[in-house]
Amino acid sequence: MANYSTSQFKNGLKLMLDGNPCSIISNEIRKPGKGQASNKVKLRDLITGKTLEKTFKSGESVEGADVMELDMQYLYNDGSEWNFMDPDTFEQYLINDDAMDDVRGYLVEQDMCVVTLWNDNPISVTPPNHVMLEVVDTDPGLKGDTAGTGGKPATMNTGVVVQVPLFISIGEKVKVDTRTNEYAGRS
Amino acid sequence: MREDLKKYSDFLQKIRTFFDNQSVLEVQTSALLNTPATDVYIDSLSMKLNQGIDLEQTRYLHTSPELEMKKLLANGSGDIYQICEVFRDNEQGSQNFNEFTMLEYYRLGFDIHQLMDDMVQLLKTLGIEGRVSKLSYAQAFFEYGDIDILNTDFAALKVIARTHSLSTDFEWIEDLQILLFTHLIEPKLKDLPLCFVYDYPAAQSALAIVEGKVSHRFELYINGVEVANGYDELRHANEYQIVFEQEIAKRRMLKKYTLDLNKGYLEAIQSSLPQCAGVAIGMVRLFSEINLK
Repeated sequence: MANYSTSQFKNGLKLMLDGNPCSIISNEIRKPGKGQASNKVKLRDLITGKTLEKTFKSGESVEGADVMELDMQYLYNDGSEWNFMDPDTFEQYLINDDAMDDVRGYLVEQDMCVVTLWNDNPISVTPPNHVMLEVVDTDPGLKGDTAGTGGKPATMNTGVVVQVPLFISIGEKVKVDTRTNEYAGRS
Repeated sequence: MREDLKKYSDFLQKIRTFFDNQSVLEVQTSALLNTPATDVYIDSLSMKLNQGIDLEQTRYLHTSPELEMKKLLANGSGDIYQICEVFRDNEQGSQNFNEFTMLEYYRLGFDIHQLMDDMVQLLKTLGIEGRVSKLSYAQAFFEYGDIDILNTDFAALKVIARTHSLSTDFEWIEDLQILLFTHLIEPKLKDLPLCFVYDYPAAQSALAIVEGKVSHRFELYINGVEVANGYDELRHANEYQIVFEQEIAKRRMLKKYTLDLNKGYLEAIQSSLPQCAGVAIGMVRLFSEINLK
C-alpha cells in the first residue's frame, strides 16, 4: 500500500496507525513563526470505532490502509456469521457475529448496507439511515392516544429496543433512525 | 468597503504616531535581495530576473526586513521601524500566508523586558488592553505541561512526546521543544489576553543573545495567537556568521535549497550593531485582535 505524505492528508483518507486502519476526520496545520509546521490529525479507528488524535511533523509520511467501502445487500445470518453480497459481482462476504455488535439490531434482510473492507476482509457494516422494523413486544398503549406524547419501550423483531409513541402496538411496522436509535414514523 | 479601509488606515496612522512621538524613524529597505534567508524553516521566494536581456540573475524576496534594517543600525541609524510586505514560500496552515504585512522595530539601549513594556504601550494606543502576563519559557512548561524543559534531554522529550501522541521524528531537540510548545502549552495560553513568553532554550536562540541555558528572546501571544517575536540582538559579525553557518548546514541536511554565506551582510555590519532589542509583529494578526472587539 502506498505511503501518504502529510501534504496529501484530507478528510476520509485511510491510514495505518498502530496496526489498525484509521480514517482521517480532521487535519489542522500549525506553523510557528520560526519552527517547523505540524499536522494535528483526528482519526477514527475503523476496527474499534474509537476517535484518536495524532500529531505529525509536516512532510512525514504514513502508510496508507487498503480500505474500501462497498454497497452490499444483507442476505441472512446463520447464527455465527452474517452474509452480504456485492450486487455487481454477486460475490458473497461473511462477517463474524462479533463484529456486528453495534448494528445487528438494524439489519433487515435484502436491505442495502455499506460494508467496509480492509485488505479485502469486511471489518464493519453501516446500515441505511432508516430501516423498517416490526414491533414484537410492547405494553399496550392508552386507547385514543394519538398525539404521541410520552412514549414507551418497544422490542423490535431484530432485538433492538426503541422508544415509541404510546399508540404503537405489537405487529406494527415502524421506521427507526439507525444513527440515533429513535422512532421516525410509521409505515 | 471604504469603512474597512478607513479602519486599517487609522490603525497604521496610530502606529506611526506612536513611533513618531518617541523619535523612532520610519525606514524602507529593499525587498529584493541577493541572498535568501538562512532560517531553517523559513523559505525565500526566488525569481529569475532580466532573462529577456540575457542578463539572468536570481534574486530573493525578503522574508523579513531584519538583516537590511540591521545594516542601518550598524551604520548609525538609531531607533528605527518599518512596515512592509514580506514573502515566504511553502507556508501552510489557516493562519499562514505567502505574503503578509510585518511591523519590525528596533530600540537602542533596550533589553527585551523594556521592549515588552514598550509593546504594551503600543498595544494600548491601538486599543488592545487586558491583563498582561509574563512567563518565562521554562515557567510556561512547568505550569502548563509539568515539564522541566531546560533540563530534559532529547531522548526524554521523545518519551514525553510519545505519551501525547506527538511525532518524535526529529533531528534536533529544538524542533521537538517547539512541537511540544505548540501542542501542549499554546492551547493553554488562549485564556491569557496578552501573554509574553520569554527566555527560550539556547537551542532556539536564532539571532538572540544566549546566556547560559537560555536565549533572550520573547514571543507575544494575544488570546493564544502568536503575534510577535523579539530578541536581544546579537551584535557582532562573527556571532552572525556562526548562526548562519549552522542554519545553512541544517538546511543542507534537510535537503532544502542553500546558498553561500551572506558575506555582504557580514561586511556591512563589521562595525557591529549597537546594543539593542528588536521585534517583528504580524500586522494582520494584530489588526484582527482589534477588530474582534
